[in-house]
Amino acid sequence: MWKRILKMFIGLYLPLVALSLYVFASQKTKQINTLSEFQKRDVEIKKKYFLEQCNALLADTHYWANLEYPVNFDPIGKHTAFMDRYIELIKEITDYDQFRFIDLKGQELYRAVRNNADSITIGNLQNKENQQYVKEGLALNKDQLYLSQISLNREHGIIEKPNKPVIRAVAPIYDTTETRIGLVVINFKMKRVLDQLKSKVADTELYLLDENHRLISSSLHEEDLPYETGRVDNIFPNKLITSIKGITKDSTIIDDDHIWRMQPVILNGTKNSFGSISKPPSEIITPSNWYMIIEIPPRLLKKYLEPLYDSLITFNVIAIVGLLALCYVFQKKKTQKELFYKELESKNIMLTRNSDLLEENNVMVNEMNNSLEIRNKQLSDFNYLISHNLRSPVTSMSVIVDMIQKEKNPEILNQLLPKLDQIAKSITHLTEDINDYVSILDNQEVKIEDIDLKKLILEVKNEFTETLLDDTGFEVLINLDTWDHISYSKFYMQSIVHNFISNSIKYKRDNVASYIEFKSAIENKHKVLYVRDNGIGLNMERHGDNVFKLYKRFHRNISGKGMGLFLVKSQLDALNATITINSKEGVGTTFKLIF
Amino acid sequence: MITKPNILLVDDDELYLYIMEKTIHQLSKDLVVSTFTDGEQAVEYISKCTEEKVDLPEVIFLDINMPFLDGWGFLNEFKKLKDKIQNDVNIYMVSSSMRDSDIKRASDFEDLTGYVIKPVNKVQLAEIFTKIYHENW
Repeated sequence: MWKRILKMFIGLYLPLVALSLYVFASQKTKQINTLSEFQKRDVEIKKKYFLEQCNALLADTHYWANLEYPVNFDPIGKHTAFMDRYIELIKEITDYDQFRFIDLKGQELYRAVRNNADSITIGNLQNKENQQYVKEGLALNKDQLYLSQISLNREHGIIEKPNKPVIRAVAPIYDTTETRIGLVVINFKMKRVLDQLKSKVADTELYLLDENHRLISSSLHEEDLPYETGRVDNIFPNKLITSIKGITKDSTIIDDDHIWRMQPVILNGTKNSFGSISKPPSEIITPSNWYMIIEIPPRLLKKYLEPLYDSLITFNVIAIVGLLALCYVFQKKKTQKELFYKELESKNIMLTRNSDLLEENNVMVNEMNNSLEIRNKQLSDFNYLISHNLRSPVTSMSVIVDMIQKEKNPEILNQLLPKLDQIAKSITHLTEDINDYVSILDNQEVKIEDIDLKKLILEVKNEFTETLLDDTGFEVLINLDTWDHISYSKFYMQSIVHNFISNSIKYKRDNVASYIEFKSAIENKHKVLYVRDNGIGLNMERHGDNVFKLYKRFHRNISGKGMGLFLVKSQLDALNATITINSKEGVGTTFKLIF
Repeated sequence: MITKPNILLVDDDELYLYIMEKTIHQLSKDLVVSTFTDGEQAVEYISKCTEEKVDLPEVIFLDINMPFLDGWGFLNEFKKLKDKIQNDVNIYMVSSSMRDSDIKRASDFEDLTGYVIKPVNKVQLAEIFTKIYHENW
């Protein structure tokens, strides 16, 4: 039962679970795409912001680069008046951390360092000829601007505390005679910009990398430029790192429940006129491009997909419970039905068996009935024999006795007395006949045995040798090819065969070779014995009804008691065999015995 | 030439024939009785009578059980000869059988006048004779 339920359940549930998984997968992809789309917009906004900031500070630098400086520019000496016009401006722009002029040899000409929001310190000049940005700056053409890496500010080679991420913009400056006199170098404070980038709208993570995969800023780290302070975290999958190089367009990488969205930030080689129509646009030089990465971490993904998982599980639980219940009910009903049919069948079989038994009994009862009927008829015949054949001599006797008593005439008395003797004799004969008959009726004593019919006929035939001696010839023909053995009473069979042979001899025709033939056959599954002779025959029309009756004689000139065929029939009836006769006068007689 | 008897007795029991003859003679010395011991002889006699145009006896007492031809057989043969018979013949079946089947079978024969059970006594015979001969016997 449970096995069948499980089988049916699996058959129904498998397609359902496949369907639900398919729907789930497509929904998941859709969700991820939506998320990715949000992410793309997010990263674009951040990139735009970052570029705007960079361009703003480049625009500042461009401004300073295009001022016409006095010949032999000495900003802290003879040209302090020139600088006074600009000091307030430098002070106002709080993003300026340092503002410097450096001559062509790398020696600072002017140095303004911000102390706080509204105070700067001027002076304290240093030689910066070995600095990378100075070298890059001196190599610039007239219409080029240089934007350095973002790095932590160092004073005399030591990282300034608190950490101060800065970016340096460098441009060449010229005096009124169009002679290059040095460089303008501005240190911009990047903390505000980077903090703005890291500010979260959704629960995503942002990373800013350079071309060497160095992490400049990340929402995971409070401090920027972690690699400069010695912290190196390998937080990106290899696949991401290897695919960064050469990327010029934004791209998405989905990896282990993370969605990475990358956007290259390329300034190097771009040109910008910064709003000026008269001057040719400036080319921007940077040592590295940046990459902005927004990560959707597993926790956010999970949060988004959670309702999807929930509905998948809910659906499947309901499906399992529902289907199990359905299968259980269905199989239970089926089992009950099968049981019912099984019972019905077994009942049917029992009924058939009973019916067979009944029929058998019926047949037995019928057989019994048959034999009882035969027996009844025999008893009735016996009764008739007594009532008729015994009654007449007895009544005759009483009449004679009555007559004798009344008769006085001795002559008549002499006539009457022998009549009594006659009556006595006939009664004696009758009782003898009755005896014979009773012995047949009482078939309790009859012993059924296997009889070799041929042997039996030959034995009986030999009893007639004396009568046959003085005859011209009487033949007993035996033709028992079909069967020659039968279960019967030997005594009866002998008597039957004896009577047939005796009759055939008695009623044989003169002037013909007389014979009697015994021939066996099978008809309708019964053993049949034909007994045929070529004797004088019998008028069937006249005597047909009486052939087998007691004391019936049909031939005046031939002695007989009228008992032979009556006994034959009784002996056959007693063992459920039947006999019929067919005869023609002057041709012969055939008896048919059916066993 | 056959002389016509009044009464024909057909029975294989010779003692019965003797007793009947005697009884009839006790009733009347005038009635002529003829006897046969089986049906066949009786039929032969009747056919001979019809051939020679001799009247048949008025009464036939017929036994049922007889050799060669029994009472029923006689009645069948009698039926065939009936057209040639000129006078009325009263046939009485006489039997010691009280079986219903025999009595019923007897009633199927139109030619039978009656069925008498053996032994037949004087009173029965007198009644039969009165019925047939009225007072003339």
